[in-house]
Amino acid sequence: MHKVKPEMRVIFILIVLLFAVFLFIPLVVLLIRSLENDQGFTLTNYTDVWSRRDLTRSILNSVKVSALTAFITTVLGFILAYGIHCTNVYRPIKGAVRILVALPMLLPTITYGFAIMYSFGNQGLITRITGRNWFEIYGFNGLLLGYVIYTLPPAFLLIHNAFRYVDRKFIIVSRLMGDGTLRSFKNTVLRPLTGALGGALILSFILSFTDFGIPASVGGTYEVVAGQLYQVMLGSIPDFNQGAVVAIVMLIPAVFGIWLLQALEKLNFHVDKMADTPLPKHRIRDTSFGILSLLVVLGMLSIFAVMFIAPWMNGYPYDLTFTFKHVASVLESGDLTGVYKHSLWVALLTSFFGTLAAYAAALLNVRTNLRWRGITDTISMITNTVPGMVLGISYLLFLNGSSLKGTFTILMLCNIVHLFTTPYLMAKNALSRMNPSWETTGELLGDSWLRTVRRVVLPNSAATVVEMFGYFFVNAMVTISGIIFLVSAQTSVVASKIKELQHFAKFNEIFVLSMLIFATNLIIKVLCEVLQRRRAVRR
Amino acid sequence: MSRLLKLQHIRKQFDEKVVLEDISLEIGTGEIVSLLGPSGSGKTTLLGIILGLTDMDQGKILFNGNDISRVPMNKRGFNIVFQDYALFPNLNAYDNIVYGLRNKKGISKEEVQETIDFLELGPHLKKRISELSGGQKQRVALARTLVTKPKILLLDEPLSALDGVIKESIKQRIQSIAREFKLTTIIVTHDPEEALTLSDKILIINQGQIAQYGTPQDIIQQPADAFVEQFIIRQLQIKRQNIYQLFGAAHA
Ligand SMILES: Nc1ncnc2c1ncn2[C@@H]1O[C@H](COP(=O)(O)OP(=O)(O)OP(=O)(O)O)[C@@H](O)[C@H]1O
Ligand SMILES: [Mg+2]
Repeated sequence: MHKVKPEMRVIFILIVLLFAVFLFIPLVVLLIRSLENDQGFTLTNYTDVWSRRDLTRSILNSVKVSALTAFITTVLGFILAYGIHCTNVYRPIKGAVRILVALPMLLPTITYGFAIMYSFGNQGLITRITGRNWFEIYGFNGLLLGYVIYTLPPAFLLIHNAFRYVDRKFIIVSRLMGDGTLRSFKNTVLRPLTGALGGALILSFILSFTDFGIPASVGGTYEVVAGQLYQVMLGSIPDFNQGAVVAIVMLIPAVFGIWLLQALEKLNFHVDKMADTPLPKHRIRDTSFGILSLLVVLGMLSIFAVMFIAPWMNGYPYDLTFTFKHVASVLESGDLTGVYKHSLWVALLTSFFGTLAAYAAALLNVRTNLRWRGITDTISMITNTVPGMVLGISYLLFLNGSSLKGTFTILMLCNIVHLFTTPYLMAKNALSRMNPSWETTGELLGDSWLRTVRRVVLPNSAATVVEMFGYFFVNAMVTISGIIFLVSAQTSVVASKIKELQHFAKFNEIFVLSMLIFATNLIIKVLCEVLQRRRAVRR
Repeated sequence: MSRLLKLQHIRKQFDEKVVLEDISLEIGTGEIVSLLGPSGSGKTTLLGIILGLTDMDQGKILFNGNDISRVPMNKRGFNIVFQDYALFPNLNAYDNIVYGLRNKKGISKEEVQETIDFLELGPHLKKRISELSGGQKQRVALARTLVTKPKILLLDEPLSALDGVIKESIKQRIQSIAREFKLTTIIVTHDPEEALTLSDKILIINQGQIAQYGTPQDIIQQPADAFVEQFIIRQLQIKRQNIYQLFGAAHA
């Protein structure tokens, strides 16, 4: 491989600095603050947690609801993925399921809660249509439903991708050998998927355990860790040291979970390319999976339906006549459009600089001989582990009093660090597949390293760059857990504004803003998709 | 013939493993030299050292009498065609060929056209890289390198990815380029037949050391040691026998 150039070192140092200052140091500060109190450095903050009934209860509650979520999500995710890979369900249905299941990802989780209230509450859409009140939504049930909706898309994707380890030929062979249905299913489907199913369980657990938006909306009096953390930090009597402890308590399962996830990865089978073996016909299986998949996905989406209906009604749910007035009033309110513009601005900053950082880090990691290039892998592992709320609190503690506090810059940095892992891995994957001799060739033809990157490497990975950009954008638009501690009145974004509007029960505004986010994300997603296709076809 | 390139006592090791040991040779202007040896013998490493891509641990490289051991790759003025060509898929064939021209002054349109004509690439200039056949890719890569007028042309396994007939035609083309432009050419190969029919001189490497350096005649008539005998001559004899068995009746 080509030799190390000074400019590679410069970029590498910049990236390491970025993460030293905005990941490593804040986490150290967090740890120090968790050990600190009036008596100096002790473990008493930690022991105090166990004496505070509300905190231990919230931890237990979080574990309970997250565990149940993980179980339900994994089962549902498996059903959807199985329906797509191992049945002869009508193709367009498979396609629809795949696209529709991902739609909630375009909305902030705090919106989920309000959609649930407006669907299942006393006057909710679904309550009214079905004529009955299904369950008490505030608290456990609401959380569970919200978490399942939130974790289903990523869990589904994980299982969906792992289905390439399932060789359909084995299914047929196993049946021919006389295995019973159950035994055949166990050996040919469940076994190769063990790693992925375990992964989906853990992933869903961590995501639910650390999410802030859902408890903030439908948590009710059912206390969970995320809500407690918010209370301790920004409640009536803030206690930063106690907050630091709770943040660490939230971090521990995440660290453990990510470690488990990586261990499980090794369980995955590695099979070479498989022939696309047709499946035997099976009427009952196909119909039942088709219907089941559609039910799951449509059920999930029906909860969001109200969000797109209510703001267009004069006085939902009492006066159902059509009106523009709510939407118009949001669009006319300088305050709310300002907040939307802030969101847009932060998302653009995040996706531009985030893509730049992740791409550069991946480039140095896979296409240079820099001695310390492995550091970027470590960074990506840590960013993957630290939950948004923990990162946000670390920033709050680290930057308290500095001029960076309450700026767009800090929101952007928090998002970049928080969202770094996935785009970084996308870039690594793409860059490592490309011809390793391009840089040498470019140099021999008189180009500097950076110039070859610009003229050759970058254009050949354009599709990936677009995908990275889209990922940063959409997630920056919807994230709330990281930035809730960092926004100020001047930098408030949609997701945090919704939290504020909640106090005034301004649901129309909440839904209109959510629709705006949804529409924006949808447009960006479609644009990215089109650009990616174009790029891919050209090659 | 004047000595253009001299390698003196080159040594290279990766970690504990010695990959090249005391390599010394001289190459004359316009000569075609093959580096021949079994897999893992150090051929690519030696090519990389000449090119300036790989650092050596000991030894010297002289070009026209000047020590260029410390001269960085892009200042040496040599160029290479990699085994997998390393063409740029975002550019079409023509843009690949002229890629280096913006960095190099004094090369006229006519000269570029000459190279294109010589390699018969005219009909393919507008094509994407993915639309080219193996042989066409090879020629585009050759053209991209040749238009920058390298002082020495290096080729890493230029024929191994090509099939029979194309192989022969590329072989002839490499020869005629070297003759026509008086271009010193160093070729890595592990195929004795290729080396013997293509080059003026052959450097046979065995486990990082020179087994023999000489003309094809020298090597056939006076193999230096048992390794050369086994590796080169035996392989060719087996090939000959196979061919005789196939065509024997007709020739007899
Ligand atoms: N970057 C490296 N680090 C460590 N060892 C290396 C490196 N590059 C090459 N080697 C080792 O040096 C030896 C010579 O490698 P080289 O690629 O020069 O062989 P080669 O003759 O070109 O073989 P082939 O015909 O398979 O291409 C091999 O044993 C190889 O494993
Ligand atoms: Mg080699």
